[in-house]
Amino acid sequence: MTSPFAALQRQLGPGKVLLSPAERGNYRFDGIQFGVRPLAVVLPETVEDVVAAVRAAKAAGIPVVGRGAASGLSGGAVPLQPSLVVSFTRMTGLTIHPERREAVAQAGVVTLSISDAARPHGLVYPPDPASFRTSTIGGNLGENAGGPLCFKYGVTGDYVLGVEMVDTDGEVHRLGRDAYDLTGLLIGSEGTLGLMTEATVRLVPPAKYSRTLQASFTSVEACAAAVSAAVSAGAVPAKMEFMDGACIGAVEDYLGLGLPREAAALMLVDTDGDDPAQVEAEMQLVEAAFLAAGGQVRRAETETEAAALWQARRSVSPALGRIRPLRMNEDIAVPRSRLPQVVAEIRALGEEYGLPLVQFGHIGDGNLHPNILYDPRSDDPAQVHELAHRIALVALQHGGVLSGEHGIGSMKREFMADAVDPVTAEAYWAVKDALDPDGRLNPDKLLPPRPTHLEDSHVHS
Amino acid sequence: MLHAIDACVHCGFCLPACPTYALLGDEMDSPRGRIVLMKDVLEGELSLHDAAPHLDRCLGCQGCVTACPSGVAYGELITSFRGWSEPQRQRGLLLEARRAAILRVLPSPAVFQAAATLGQVAKPLAPVMPKLLRPALDLLPNRVPRRNRLRAFYPAQGLKRGRIALLAGCAQQVLAPNFNEATIRVLTLNGYEVAVPPEQGCCGAAALHTGDRPLALGQVRRNLAAFEPQEYDAIISNAAGCGAGLKEYPAVLHGLPDQPQAEALAAKVQDIAEFLGGLLDRGELRPALPATRPLRIAYHDACHLAHAQGIRREPRELLRWISGVEVLEVPRGELCCGSAGTYNIEQPELADQLGELKATSILSTQPDLIVSGNIGCHTQITTHVGRQGGAARVMHTIEVLDLAYRGEL
Repeated sequence: MTSPFAALQRQLGPGKVLLSPAERGNYRFDGIQFGVRPLAVVLPETVEDVVAAVRAAKAAGIPVVGRGAASGLSGGAVPLQPSLVVSFTRMTGLTIHPERREAVAQAGVVTLSISDAARPHGLVYPPDPASFRTSTIGGNLGENAGGPLCFKYGVTGDYVLGVEMVDTDGEVHRLGRDAYDLTGLLIGSEGTLGLMTEATVRLVPPAKYSRTLQASFTSVEACAAAVSAAVSAGAVPAKMEFMDGACIGAVEDYLGLGLPREAAALMLVDTDGDDPAQVEAEMQLVEAAFLAAGGQVRRAETETEAAALWQARRSVSPALGRIRPLRMNEDIAVPRSRLPQVVAEIRALGEEYGLPLVQFGHIGDGNLHPNILYDPRSDDPAQVHELAHRIALVALQHGGVLSGEHGIGSMKREFMADAVDPVTAEAYWAVKDALDPDGRLNPDKLLPPRPTHLEDSHVHS
Repeated sequence: MLHAIDACVHCGFCLPACPTYALLGDEMDSPRGRIVLMKDVLEGELSLHDAAPHLDRCLGCQGCVTACPSGVAYGELITSFRGWSEPQRQRGLLLEARRAAILRVLPSPAVFQAAATLGQVAKPLAPVMPKLLRPALDLLPNRVPRRNRLRAFYPAQGLKRGRIALLAGCAQQVLAPNFNEATIRVLTLNGYEVAVPPEQGCCGAAALHTGDRPLALGQVRRNLAAFEPQEYDAIISNAAGCGAGLKEYPAVLHGLPDQPQAEALAAKVQDIAEFLGGLLDRGELRPALPATRPLRIAYHDACHLAHAQGIRREPRELLRWISGVEVLEVPRGELCCGSAGTYNIEQPELADQLGELKATSILSTQPDLIVSGNIGCHTQITTHVGRQGGAARVMHTIEVLDLAYRGEL
């Protein structure tokens, strides 16, 4: 059978449209799950290539799924039905405009390389998802990615000034904040409204000084109280990372860093700024609050010591890989004041299901990553899924949300019915239908099920 | 094999560490992509024929192993996959002949010496030679050094502190005999007697990594018979690829009757930088003379030293230990130079692009001298630095130390 994309292959030239089974099969997964083999994969080098691809998909009535480095953890870039995958990894154009403190990056630019290119001009791009050495800016825009620095510096969306976007008809739009903030609409839309091909992002000078502190607590309650007290006292740390007791144990088993195994919570805090006295004063606020709450505090005196303290946090992923081969990385955000109850309830759930479970996260934002560790050969995937759903419900019950930074994707889409009220769901679908009437842009992602009374009026492609 | 494949959570952290992904920007030419290809082939979802081009493009540099947060043993995966799949491969007659020739000529110093000398004569004819032979000719140096046979034994100088066995290597002994000569001089000067067991042969890594398991097994067993581990304090290699190859012996013979012998041998294997670095750490290395002028040395991490053996610190510290030497870090130093065993003969275009990238990165540090710990990198970097008009010489770490001991650095 001739592929509907054979003509596109001829149009774009060799190497840009992949049709063989081997080639297509390798674009069916992200950092968490496998979907189905796409019908074709396009590796565009220009926005014109993207336009041609989207038009070919429209003509064939086939869904389009955008993809960056596919390091995502919610299934956002995974095709769930036979689709055309547009992989942006070759669109890597990057221009730094130091005088405007802006960078213009094509979708496939690796996030860290924006800062690498800007640093000689005395500027950086702050959002720092854990995958920033791998993930692309296009994927970060789609998922509105965060990272440890988000408490003070914000997430991807806080830095986007404008985007270039190809819509479902293959029309190119350049969106800024001149009238309606359609840029804001697209950030976090997970490829369901259009394909973002380029972004203009804000750059800032990096902080000149930083201080690092590690603290352990005998209870999560004491830890949460300490964090709240520090923030109330006026501290705005750059990073505030949390690890629970199970997580401490996992890292200690892996590396033997001398972490306190008996502790129920470990905190890593960085303060930063341009005035060393202020950075130190801010760290002293944190230290005082932590000590008052009964924390055991260690300060780093040198950069080497700071790196050693941060090694505990950086080693979480490899440490967990040694307990079970796979993990479901949950990504909830809850009000900081609810942290003790949330952590306790999730821990109890892990015990109920008999699955190893560790919790860590960017606690400045209340962003918690409960990780269910499992082995697909011995653990029941249905149980893992059910546990993930119950964790999501815990977050919602405490006034939280389903995603802090990884997006909803397909992984948490079915939980969205619990999270979004019907009126809001209807508004989401009204926007989706306006921009993607055929429903071909990354279908089966992000949105809760379509409200039933809209089901009848919707024209299926 | 499937068990090891399952350890990959496909997070993608390996992508930026992969040289072919850096060049091609295509998932299929990334470690994660290749793992999925292997999985699909093993599970019968995909034909070997469809997957092979992308698996063949893997350099085996193991940069991804360093980058992997889940500890996936990618090197073992691709090696065992190639061993499994090679008997099923169908290549053209010429390709098959070239492959067989490379794997048999390289490991035999006498044959390789003859071939290299012949090749030198043919080198000016390279542009008109068949395309299949051209890359091999391009790699040959303009002058093949005179053949130098090593003795079986070199006594220690001064007070004897121990006994070392040296893996002389095969192609290296033809292309750069001074690596072994310098190694022997530095070791004997430090009080170690050095044996070069004459029965030894190729370490087997080239055959193993390209999937010729029967040939590799023969070479491995020949060395098991040649080296008696209990007689030596260490079995030293000065070629990163060969050292990594020797350390792989237990995995190669896993489950076979001679596995214990392989383990005994591998336990004694050390790279020359690893061994001398140990002496330096313990304050036991004999002092060297300072460099005669300040020297900026760009140190290139050979993949099989840095990624496969985890040896990064020792060579840098040994170089820095010589007064007057400044060690420079090469931008994107973790990326392979493109030499990778027989890769630059089998995948000449990608190897060339990587060599060019590496030479540009190295020259950007404005070095007086370029140093690495592997003959393959040495040849590749010499070629590409030369093409870019760089004047800096390329040397082995041990040559630098040797010169420093003689006050000639």
